[in-house]
Amino acid sequence: MSRRAQENLAAAALLALFAGVIWLCQDFGPRARMIPLPLAVFGIVLTVIQILWQNLRSTDELHIDMIPVQKPVAAATPGAGAGAEANAATRVTWRREAGALGIVGALLGLILVTGIIPAVFLFTGGYFVVTRQYSWRASLIYTAVLTAAVYLLFVVALQVQPYHGLLSPLVESFN
Amino acid sequence: MLEAIASGLAALLTPQAVLFMLIGVIYGLVIGILPGLGGVVAMALLLPFTYGFEKAATLALLLGAHIATIWGDSVTSILFSVPGSAKGLALCFDGYPMTKQGQAKRALAASATGALLGGLIGAVFLALCIPLIRPVILALGPSEYLMMALWGLTVIATFSQGSLMKGLIASVLGVLAAFIGMDVVTATPRFTFGSEFLMDGISFPVAMIGLFAVSEMMKLAIQGTPIVDRSLVTEVSTMWQGIKDALRHWWLVVRSSLLGLWIGVLPGVGASVAGLAAYAQAVQTSKTPERFGKGAVEGVIAPDATMGANEGGGLMPTLAFGIPGGESMAILLVAFISLGIVPGPDMLTKNLDLVFSLVWIIVIANVLVTVIGLGITPWLARLPSLHANLMVPIVLSVCFVGAYATRGRIEDVWVATVFGVLGYLMDKYQYSRANFVIGMVLAVMIERNLHISLTLYGKDFLLQRPIALAMFAFVLFTAALPFLRNWRRNRKVVAA
Repeated sequence: MSRRAQENLAAAALLALFAGVIWLCQDFGPRARMIPLPLAVFGIVLTVIQILWQNLRSTDELHIDMIPVQKPVAAATPGAGAGAEANAATRVTWRREAGALGIVGALLGLILVTGIIPAVFLFTGGYFVVTRQYSWRASLIYTAVLTAAVYLLFVVALQVQPYHGLLSPLVESFN
Repeated sequence: MLEAIASGLAALLTPQAVLFMLIGVIYGLVIGILPGLGGVVAMALLLPFTYGFEKAATLALLLGAHIATIWGDSVTSILFSVPGSAKGLALCFDGYPMTKQGQAKRALAASATGALLGGLIGAVFLALCIPLIRPVILALGPSEYLMMALWGLTVIATFSQGSLMKGLIASVLGVLAAFIGMDVVTATPRFTFGSEFLMDGISFPVAMIGLFAVSEMMKLAIQGTPIVDRSLVTEVSTMWQGIKDALRHWWLVVRSSLLGLWIGVLPGVGASVAGLAAYAQAVQTSKTPERFGKGAVEGVIAPDATMGANEGGGLMPTLAFGIPGGESMAILLVAFISLGIVPGPDMLTKNLDLVFSLVWIIVIANVLVTVIGLGITPWLARLPSLHANLMVPIVLSVCFVGAYATRGRIEDVWVATVFGVLGYLMDKYQYSRANFVIGMVLAVMIERNLHISLTLYGKDFLLQRPIALAMFAFVLFTAALPFLRNWRRNRKVVAA
């Protein structure tokens, strides 16, 4: 997807959001909508100007996809044309972005299923195993130390009641 | 008076008081570094352990812990762009770029020295100003608070580099995000979609964990390199540079400290606003505002000096009237009551030695934090060079646990995730995350004070409140200042 298309997609999402706020504000009393309603209208005006602005400028002026990950990728494909390099870079960026989203999603999923403390152990250990940055022994030590530190700080010292996720009935029966 | 100053200090020289102060400071530093947890949590958790000890020792434990969280918050903001709590947010804007440029030691030392100087100025002014502050506080009402919140919004242009339009859109989004939940003025649930969880609104620390910490870890996972790659960027700075920076910008420190003191005196404004306001004034008064956001050391010194002085300011209304300046001061008030201390005008006559004990606690705790902080800075400065494959799982895990610990609700982990993705997209498409947060912080203050002003004084409230009118003129002036400077600079260039 081109830079301009991405920017337009983001702006369209914002337009939909502000329109939704205006629609929801109709249910509020005059005092409750005194600030949100004009603000959402202001947001729509700004977004429309932004859409016009970004479509009247050259693509080079849309400074997106500038994260450093692209540089080594572009450099790694010598001989290819500029267009092919850009396409390859965009494809890799999308893959890595999906990966990062997956990492965050995996931790969230683990917390919801296993609870906070086991999720920290499984996520950190799993991450070390998948990335192969450290030997399994070092990974296990780092994971155990982090989990113990989190447990001691949050559960023992700060007395935060940990969330047990789907394992909650099991923990309750054990208690 | 001199006798009270001496006996205030003597009360803190007992073995119990010294031990409690040390425990409080170390504990506060640890809590400050944990994401989502700040001074309020630190003090609230200590409260049950304070019964049956010496008065001065108990207050040293509580206030020492609270003061230490200020620098603890700053550490993670500077090193990882992960604010320990709302207060540390302003440190991300220039502290993190400094770290990426190999100047972590300088930034940490400037931050610690700024906080120390701010704390000392705050303590001195607390001692001097208690008798004078009453008429000032009584002269200010909701209209004046509204103007102060509007002044905070003038910083938006600073963070809208590239596109002012996108910066403004980000601010509008932030303000709207702050309106999620029950409207306290009209008792109307807004944008809650029937969710009981959303009725309480979006927790500000959780939103920040998502916007800054989770999104930064996503970026790091994508890049696959450390925050600071030592093969490309070496640590070029020293701690001494940071200390000298703070001393060299002494006028900025004084201005920021007075601002922090002033914001601390005003009940309900809070240290998160203080940090942002300090950053705004540092930018607006700088001769080179274009350096801010790219690693200007003044952007680190100003917020820390303000937050250091803020504590002294917050103590003034707490001691003089029994009106807490913020949440942490409310907890201190609870401690006062449990210790049999009754805040009010009597504090200045019958309990003057205790007042000076508090002043001394601020001084000693700030010195201790700075000494410990400077001592551990060389080790802290190495953390950003750890590999992404070690940083990402550790920081993400601690952030999610921190988000959950803020209110003990699993929904906050969802909120951190959603705001993390939002923060990543905002950063990618250059919609300023800082503006989003500024909008979020100031929205509630603006709306509440606007409603109260309209109810009390009607639509022409500005005309009925001359101080508010003067402040409004000041807001317009400071908002126009960057544009005026730009215009003058362009005119000079054209003339040359």
